[in-house]
Amino acid sequence: MTDANTDVIQGTLDMLILKTLSLEPMHGFGIARRVEQVSRGVFKVNPGSLLTALQRLERAGWLDAEWRQTENSRRAKFYTLTRAGRKQLEEETADWTRRASAIARLLKAEG
Amino acid sequence: MSLWRQLTYGLRSLANRAKHDRDVAEEVEQYFEEAEAAWRSRGLSAKDATRAARLEAGSVTVAKERVNAYGWENTARNFFGDLRFAGRQLLKHKAFTATATLTLALGIGANAAIFTVIESILLAPLPYKNADKLAVLDTHWTNSGHTTARVTGPDAVDVRNQARSIEAMSLYSSGNLGVQLRDHSVYTVVTFVDANFARVFSLQPIAGRLLTDADAHHAALVSEQFARDNFANAQAALGQMLQVENEPVEIVGVLPESFDFPAQTRVWEAYPLRPASEERTAFNYKAVARLRSSTTFQAAQTELIGISRRLESAYPEANRNKQILPQPLHQALIGNTRPTLLFLWAAVGLILLIACVNVTHLQLVRSMERERELAIRRALGSSSRQVMQPVILESLLVSLIGGAAGVLLAFPAVRVLVEMAPKDLPRTNEIHLNGWVLGFTLALSVLTALASSVLPALKAAKVDPAETLKQDASRGMTRQGATMLRDGLVVAEVAATFVLALGAALLLHTMMALSDRDMGYQTRQLLVVDADAPAHSDQDAQRAVQQFNGIFAQLAAMPGIKHVAGIMGLPTSAYGSNGYYTVTGAGPVDVNHSPHADFSVASPGYFQAMGIPIKRGRDFSQQDTGESPFVAVISESLAKQSFGNADPLGKQVQCGLDSDKWMTVVGVVGDVRQESPAENPGPTLYMPMTQHPYYGNQIHIVLRTEVKPLTLMNAVQETIARMNPLIAMRFTTMDAMVNTSIATERFRAALISSFAGVGLLLAMLGVYGTMAYTVAQRTFEIGVRMAFGAERGAILSTVLAHAAKLACYGIAVGLVLSLLLARLVTSMLAAALAPGWRATHVDPMVALRSA
Repeated sequence: MTDANTDVIQGTLDMLILKTLSLEPMHGFGIARRVEQVSRGVFKVNPGSLLTALQRLERAGWLDAEWRQTENSRRAKFYTLTRAGRKQLEEETADWTRRASAIARLLKAEG
Repeated sequence: MSLWRQLTYGLRSLANRAKHDRDVAEEVEQYFEEAEAAWRSRGLSAKDATRAARLEAGSVTVAKERVNAYGWENTARNFFGDLRFAGRQLLKHKAFTATATLTLALGIGANAAIFTVIESILLAPLPYKNADKLAVLDTHWTNSGHTTARVTGPDAVDVRNQARSIEAMSLYSSGNLGVQLRDHSVYTVVTFVDANFARVFSLQPIAGRLLTDADAHHAALVSEQFARDNFANAQAALGQMLQVENEPVEIVGVLPESFDFPAQTRVWEAYPLRPASEERTAFNYKAVARLRSSTTFQAAQTELIGISRRLESAYPEANRNKQILPQPLHQALIGNTRPTLLFLWAAVGLILLIACVNVTHLQLVRSMERERELAIRRALGSSSRQVMQPVILESLLVSLIGGAAGVLLAFPAVRVLVEMAPKDLPRTNEIHLNGWVLGFTLALSVLTALASSVLPALKAAKVDPAETLKQDASRGMTRQGATMLRDGLVVAEVAATFVLALGAALLLHTMMALSDRDMGYQTRQLLVVDADAPAHSDQDAQRAVQQFNGIFAQLAAMPGIKHVAGIMGLPTSAYGSNGYYTVTGAGPVDVNHSPHADFSVASPGYFQAMGIPIKRGRDFSQQDTGESPFVAVISESLAKQSFGNADPLGKQVQCGLDSDKWMTVVGVVGDVRQESPAENPGPTLYMPMTQHPYYGNQIHIVLRTEVKPLTLMNAVQETIARMNPLIAMRFTTMDAMVNTSIATERFRAALISSFAGVGLLLAMLGVYGTMAYTVAQRTFEIGVRMAFGAERGAILSTVLAHAAKLACYGIAVGLVLSLLLARLVTSMLAAALAPGWRATHVDPMVALRSA
């Protein structure tokens, strides 16, 4: 028996982060918990990868970051989607949908 | 936007690393706290919550490391970290650093110096306007392939009138002459130019005006330096009078210091546009031209070949097979220095190669010392790139320091080179270090770093931690490959040094053979005065000769002087004459097969002063005058050439020097080498000054001294100036003149020898390094052997035998390389000297169509 694969599909982490942040600003753990909850545990995010990805997206200009208080009065770094980030999310979503449906068609044809 | 963020965020984190680290740490810790809090809220105890969070998300430290590693600034930081590390390593291994830096400084310095010379002479454009359109005109004979850098007056005028590809063209001729000023006289290069000269070079005077055709024989331009030396400044020179070849000329303009054509000219005297010589067989002029900006050399050459062909049909006798061809001025100026310079470049290239091999070798030794360190790094998970980077950086650092030291070395080296350079090396005043040289040196340093670090870096990358950690060099357990590699490098080094040394030996041998040659006269203790007395008419010349005879008597009476005489046609000097002669009893004169000889005009006592032995008959005497029967003295070769075994005394000789009077041979003297030690002794015809006064006013006075010749210079100068202040004088010694005549050979030999010396030094360092390292590595093994009773001598001989074997391989490889290179050099020289090669560059169809 092996554990079910919970790695995020290569190249989709950015999209998942952008999507999660499109609802509201969040801190790192908040994003991780949300991805896990919404995907019903299919995807588990590793903090090393997640925080690195956040830095990358911030430098790409898709996210802005700001230190704020959490609800339990802990200082945390909150990320907000920028206008450029929203556009990027739209592009990535469209691209992903196109690819996913193509793969789905292929798999169906195979079956 | 995002690029901007990349840059600013990266710089911010570089600038305030502590804050960046704190932020990352806080963010990671907050993440884990939240994760633990989430587990606690599901009911776990504090301890279990921590464990669960760790289990799920891994270690806090690893996460921090990962996040911290993000960003370009980390690569930069690693780079600087490695650079600092390399610097520290270099400081720690002072012996290695010093040896490697010195080696590279020598190699790179020599290259920078030679490249400076090459850049200034071969590559840099000439410092004239439209330099790429400037040409000289040569005369080329298609049947013999012979080319001369001169043209005849009428041919040049025809080309000037007809060639549409030529914008402006000037005829000129120059010589080293005495120029008389109001109260003194100087020796300098005077060039006679027509009014087009300034147009060809687009000259602008810094004072006064340029020359017009109406100025011919009346006006001259002088160089800024000439004006400064003789009249305080350029303005003061204007309107001053000069005497050139006894013609009074007025200075009407001053040319800037930077203009130096023909080389060393200080006075440009106006000559008419219509050349005085109207013979199509008298090559009395040189020609320089500027092509139209719209044409190419190819087109100009094609046009000039067409014009030459028309001249050939118009003057079938004089112009048979004759072509007037343009040659780029730059090419004409650098002439045959190109092969010499490229040869030198190849030699310094070899030195750099040896230096690279040395540094590679030093690096290898270093990397073997570090093998365990590298193995541990690899075992801890460094990538091969991460292992190679410090090795390459170390190399780069050493090379850059070496390069900087090399440039510092190159400054004095270039100065020495210019000092040593033969006088005929063109453009020496333009030689200086510049941006190109610095760029070249930088590129060279980087290249050297790469070349010398390739092997060590690859080795570092290939280090197998498991294997290496098992080995222990101090116990004599090493792999075989390492030794092979080092041995190969030593062989390469010895081979390269051998090539250099062999080249140096050959050149030195030539040099020594030349310096030891018997010139046919005694060169030691001989002071030589270049003396030019103004004379315009035959009467002037006769008076000058009389005066010189008086001067000889005065000088001979001075203490320290044994003999004094005058001569036109001193061996190795710039003046001299030669031509055909005829003798009685030799049958009808055949112009094509007349015997040829050097002509010299001498005063009585010349042979004694020079130490030329009188073999038969007598010297000239005071009784040989313009009124007495004409006499001549001949050299042994001439006697043999024209009279065979018959007694030459009393025979009649005639030559076309200045009169067609028959001369009676009164003496036979030994042969001399006229031009340089490289030449064979040949026939010479000596005539007395009193009978040929026209050649007696511009002479060399030779003084055989009992003391160091130059110590008498001031006394001699005063004595001559007292007799006639208008005589221009220049002093030298016969030894110096002979030396100058082989300056190019000496220059080459001296440079190559010093290169070979440097190469040898480097190779010795290299071989020593390898041997020392090998012995150090084998200390354990040697100790074991000795413990079992091996003789000291036996061990010594193993080590020496190994070194000797490597040296033998190196010499064998070097020998083969030398043979290959010798063929290359010979063919290169042959190609450079082959005269009519330009003719082969013409498309015959293009040439025919344009005719």
